[in-house]
This record gives sequence, C-alpha cells and structure tokens, in this order.
Amino acid sequence: MGHTPAVFIENLSFRYRDRQELAIRDISFQIMPGELLLLAGASGCGKTTLIRCINGLIPRSYKGEISGRILLHDQDTSKFTLARISQIVGTVLQDPERQILGTRVMNEVAFGLENLALSRDEITERINESLDYLGIKHLRDRETFNLSGGEKQKVALAGVLAMHPSILLLDEPLASLDPASAQEALRLIRQLTDQGMTVLMVEHRVEDVFKINPDCVLFMEQGQIRYLGTMDGLSKVVNYHEIKLPAPLILERAASDPPPQSIQFQPAIGSPKPLVQFEEVSFGYEAGSTVLKGISLAINRGDVIAVLGANGAGKTTLVKHAIGLLKPKAGRVLVEGKDTRHISVAQVAKTLGYVFQSPSHMLFAPTVYEELAFGPTNLRHDPEAIRKEVQEAIDIVNLTGREKDPPLALSFGQQKRVSIAAILAMQSRILVMDEPTAGQDYRNYMEFMDAILQLPNFEAILFITHDIDLAVIYANRVLLVDNGQVVADGRPEEVLRDLDLLSATRLVPTSLLKLNLERVETTGRFLRAEALAHIQ
Amino acid sequence: MLVTWRYRKRKSIIQWFDPRAWLIFYACFLACTLLFWDVRYLAVFGVVSLAILLSSGIRLMEMRRPLMFIALFGIFYSGLTFLTGRGGMEVYQSEHLITRLAAGFTLFGWQPVINVTLEKAFFSLGIFLRVFSLASMTILIPYSLNPAQYGIIFRGLGMPDKIAYAMDLTMRFIPTFGRDFMMTMDAQRARGYELENLRGGLINQVRKMAPLIVPVTIHAIIGSEDIIDAMDLRAFGVGPRVWLEQLHYKRRDIALIVFGILLFFVCGGLSMFGFGKFWVPL
Repeated sequence: MGHTPAVFIENLSFRYRDRQELAIRDISFQIMPGELLLLAGASGCGKTTLIRCINGLIPRSYKGEISGRILLHDQDTSKFTLARISQIVGTVLQDPERQILGTRVMNEVAFGLENLALSRDEITERINESLDYLGIKHLRDRETFNLSGGEKQKVALAGVLAMHPSILLLDEPLASLDPASAQEALRLIRQLTDQGMTVLMVEHRVEDVFKINPDCVLFMEQGQIRYLGTMDGLSKVVNYHEIKLPAPLILERAASDPPPQSIQFQPAIGSPKPLVQFEEVSFGYEAGSTVLKGISLAINRGDVIAVLGANGAGKTTLVKHAIGLLKPKAGRVLVEGKDTRHISVAQVAKTLGYVFQSPSHMLFAPTVYEELAFGPTNLRHDPEAIRKEVQEAIDIVNLTGREKDPPLALSFGQQKRVSIAAILAMQSRILVMDEPTAGQDYRNYMEFMDAILQLPNFEAILFITHDIDLAVIYANRVLLVDNGQVVADGRPEEVLRDLDLLSATRLVPTSLLKLNLERVETTGRFLRAEALAHIQ
Repeated sequence: MLVTWRYRKRKSIIQWFDPRAWLIFYACFLACTLLFWDVRYLAVFGVVSLAILLSSGIRLMEMRRPLMFIALFGIFYSGLTFLTGRGGMEVYQSEHLITRLAAGFTLFGWQPVINVTLEKAFFSLGIFLRVFSLASMTILIPYSLNPAQYGIIFRGLGMPDKIAYAMDLTMRFIPTFGRDFMMTMDAQRARGYELENLRGGLINQVRKMAPLIVPVTIHAIIGSEDIIDAMDLRAFGVGPRVWLEQLHYKRRDIALIVFGILLFFVCGGLSMFGFGKFWVPL
C-alpha cells in the first residue's frame, strides 16, 4: 500500500444539477499514504466540492454531472456505497456544530460504529481508544452542546477516527477555534499524519498550517488547480494579497512593491462623552453562573477596539450587553447616557449597529437591496437617504451588481458580507462586528476591513476576533477578555507585548505580531507586513 | 447544532421507571382521560397528574413558562366554553339556569346576556380538568427523559431504526427551533425591528413577520441538510444498527405497564357501560 497513492484523482470535473457552470474542472492530483495536503483558495473556488467528491457525498447526496476518476488506495469508489467509503475516508466538517449528532460525547463517538453494527464491546473499545488518543477521555459523559469550540472539534474528530479511516478530510478545521485550540488541533493533525494517516485539509489560515509543514499544497482558483507543489513554491506563485502568508515572507515580497496606502480611522464628528459605558456589569445566563464579572469600561469616539479572548471567555455576552439584547444582573450599561434597561434594542440600534456572527440568522429578503434597506427603514430614514446608504454599503463589501440577487442563494462568504452591509447601511454611530472574518477568504476580508475603516460614518468600531493580526493591523485599542473579566485594556502595542498574558488567555503570537514587536521601537506603532517592508 | 430539553437526573416517580414503561403508561393515562366527561372521574385524573407533577422533582422556576402557558390556555379555553357553551350541546341536551347576567349597557340596541347554567359550568370545569391532566403529564416528558436515550427508547417501543432515530431528532428539533427563533429575533431587533409595533390587518401582520419566519425556516432546512450529510458520512441507514445503550425492564416497569393497560381496559369498559358520561349535581 505504501507505493500506491491513498488518493488518486484524474481529470475530475463536476457540475451541480441546478447550475450551468462547472464547480470544479479537470482536477488531477494524488496524495501518498501518510502525507498532509493543504487545499487553499478563495471562497467559492471549489474546495468543498472537491471534498464532497472524495467522501462520496457527490454524486450520492449532491446530484449533478461528474466525470473523471477517483481512486482511494487504488480502488475506484464510483460503485461503492457511502458506508463503504466512510470506512476509508473520514470527514470533519468546517463547523463541528454541524456534524455532532449525539447529545453526549460517548453517543457521538459511537454513532458511526453503531451504524456499522459492530458489537457493543468493540464499540466501547473503539470509543475509549479514540478519546484516549485525542486526550479527551474526561469528556466521555459530558453533554456535547456544553463543550467549548475546541472540545467540540476534537469530539467530532473522535467520532470519525473511531471508524478507523485511512484518509481524513478536514474542511477548515481551525475556523471556529481560538488560537491556542487551533495550535493544538494542528499538532494533532501532524501527529496523525506522522502515524500514517493521509490528511487533506482545507484551510484559509495558511500561515498557521505552514507551522506543521504540509507535504504538498494545492491552490485552487475558479474550480481549477492553479498551483500544486511544495509550500515554498506557493509563496512564489500566489500573490500575498490572496492568501495569508507568514509575515517574513510578505516582508520579502512586498519590499519590491510600492508601499501600501496608509489606512487611518477618521471618526465621524461627535461628542467627547463616552458613547457606551459599562459600570460594574455582572451577568449570568442561569442563577448561580457568572459569565461577566464586574466589567467597567467606556467606548469613546475614535476607538477601534479589538476584543480578543478564548472560546467561551464572554466576548459575545459582553457585546450583547452594549446593544441591550442582554441586561446586566448587576451594574448598568449606558448608551449615550441612557440605561439599556430603559430603552428598546431598536433605540440602541440607532447608536450601535451589531453584525451577528452567523448571517443565516438574519437574512430574509428577496433581494440584496431589500435586505440592506430593512434596517434603515426600521430606523425611519428617508427613502432618498436609504437608497444612498444601501448603495454605499453594497460597494464597500464588494457586492456591486448583486443588488437584485436573493441573499439566501449566495455563498456563505457573500452572505456574511451582506450581513455586514446590512448594518453598514443603518449608519449607526458605532459599528460592532462579531467575528467579521469567519468563513471569509483573506483578500475579501482585508478589502472590506480596509473599506470600513475609511468610512467617514462611524465614531467608533469594535470587533470580536480570534485573529490577532486583525487587532495588530486595524485596532487602536485591545480588550483582552478572560473568564468574564477584562484582563487588559489598552493600545495594541502595550497589551500584545505581554506574551505571558497572551498565553494565559489562549492567544498565540503570530509572525506579524513578533515582527512588529521587534520593530515597534522604530515604528512607534503596529503596522501590516507590507508597510513594515518599507521601513528601514 | 441540535440542543436538548433541560434534563437532569432527579429522584422522582417518573424517573424511577424505565422510560418506555412510563411512555406506555402515559399513553394509557391519556386515552383514559379522554374517555370521560364526568368531573368526578376527571378530578381523579387531575389529582393523579398533579401528584405526579409535584413529585417530579422539577423546580417550579424551571417549569414556569410551560405551566403558565397551560394555566392560561386552560383558563381561556374553559372560560370561552363557559361564556359561549361551545361544544357542550354534544354532551348535554337540556340546561338548568342558575342565574342570568345581563350587561348594564346595550350595543346598537342589543344587550349582551350570559345565561349561567349548571351544565355550562360543569362542562367548562370538565374541559379545564382534561386540559390540566393532559398538559401536566405531557410537560413532564421532555424534562424527565434522558436525551441520550431518545433513540433507544423509541427503538425499544418497537419502531424501526430509522424511525426511532428520526423521533430522536424530532424531540431535539423543538428546543433547537426555539433557540434559533430567539437568535433570529435578537439579530432582527438589532436592526431596529420591533415585533410589538406590527400594524395593519392580519395578512399584513403575517407578512411583516417574514424577517423572523424566513431565517428560522431556512436555518431549519440548512440544519436538516447538515444533519443528513453528517449521518450519511457515518454510514447511517445502510443496514440494521446496534444501539450502544441498552434499557432493561425491571419488575416495577412491567407492573406499571400492566397497570396502565388494565386501567385503559377498565376505563374503556366503564365508558362502554355508560359510566363517566357528563354529570351535573341535581
């Protein structure tokens, strides 16, 4: 088996039944047993379609026209049942929440084995083996919906590994993880490949995957292979604006390019008084539990705040207090001097526009235009102003020409941009975004972050993120949240230099942060790698 | 991700039994309650269900919302019956007037009058007792069944694997739908949407509910597709499956099932011989 490829794909093309154009075209590559292949590319380039072809969901669950050959360990899988393929190929979906079916960890890991009708003794043995391997035996009897993001990811992986596949497909396994959990996941993936597992991993966070030395990289563009080869070669072929490369590489490449435009947030004119004020705010979802513990802070005009912290630290709960969706159990939150207990969420929305993490919870309108007009209409803006606001928002998120498209028919990345535009169009004084870059490709999110910061409409911007580089590049203030408390609040250059504190809050310094820390004495502030390349 | 009802292991009558035995007893109890209109019989069922409810170990705070709903629904439904006498004429033919309540005003020359009769009063009391017994027995189910055992419970009741797992997912779909609804509600409120400010006729109001209904529905559909993919990728439905967890009947469970079935036949027999029909004290 060592000399035959684990995955061999030849001239593979696929067109979804209800689409005119091919989703992937003439894909050919192979992965040898024990190799790790990184599959990268912009949103909608065909990565997920390729995964579905390998794991058999295409054409069994997703119908369409398929051509070409897929061989797994030299066996043509076109006539295999999904059950048979699932014993060769294990798939961990992008969001573990979408994959976990069991209510308890043990049930979840057992699910596939129960379907294969193994004996109860063997099922129990395999559950223990998988949990032990991933170091999560202590979670065995826990309820799955109470697990942290990192734990969920490991449990989803345990459920797949228990079926003893020889090939593992991972669709953006790092997307919902905090930096420390992402590092743990990557170490685990490397360990699996070192022990003979063949892994194909789709990931936008290319820089992170660099650290575990993938054997091969496949870069896709518009359904086709643009690059197939080693990691070193990738940085030479692909533009550093398209994927997130390690900062030293960008530094090298950007030195010969013209310096980037400096992006400075210019806040709209407003009062010097705090826009939002937290006074000793404490909160718990249930009696006896405390998610926020005595938080006091103010959001002022000119702030670009990055809220950083581990999964479950209380970041989203904190922000939901600012818009009045949650009311403090103790203390108070003032929005423009008014207690959120005494004003409606709709009234707060005039001051604070909040982009939720998941776009699918808010999109409903038949067209992008109507979706974007919904907020300003609720806030009773006049029709002429609404037209202008909507158009401006569409342009910022790069969806020009899509005004008449139904938002629900767009890709996830595009839906996310519609959800951001929907709040931009409301022209609130503060823009708040929860994980704005999740599910977005690098080029897209950098472009709209650049555009948002240059808007003259906002007096302050706040975003929750797991991406430290976003804080390094865009924020002028960092809030570090840990266990329901703000453990650090200050300029990024002050907060992010405390590496012990970062480690304690499950944050991992990136190559860009390290580079900035080395040069901050000269630069005076944090800069993006392209800008650092032009500073002597 | 599917969430579950708030289940905790408690020391209660309901959790003392095997969940399958309890569900069989519950079905028999439900059927028996629906056989009678006599408030004396229904009072017995009401007292039994109240005793079970109180001994369930579920704190009042945990159940306050469903209890409030039951109370409001029961009062509204029986109150409407009392005021209008709706449905009553199917179980009684004549009425005995207790008092006649006439409004102290007229509407376009018509004076609203309520004839308070013994039959209307006892019929609405009967309705209230039925609703109370059925609803209080039903709300115990989600709080008392272990979500990790839903599938095996239904499989153990004789359903095929696929149906049993579908029932498992359905039981979890309801709280998941509730969570998604609240998330959508929050997202739209953050866009200035106020449900309490809906104006216009019924159709217009339903139309204005679209910002809530559409995302929740779409989310449910997408969620179902994800679940199907996740199940397919782990070989669900390719043949008979093994359920890791096993449930074993104990003597008390058999006794409960026998008691439930006996109760059903006794009540059925009583009902057939004319016992438990509508009754008023005359």
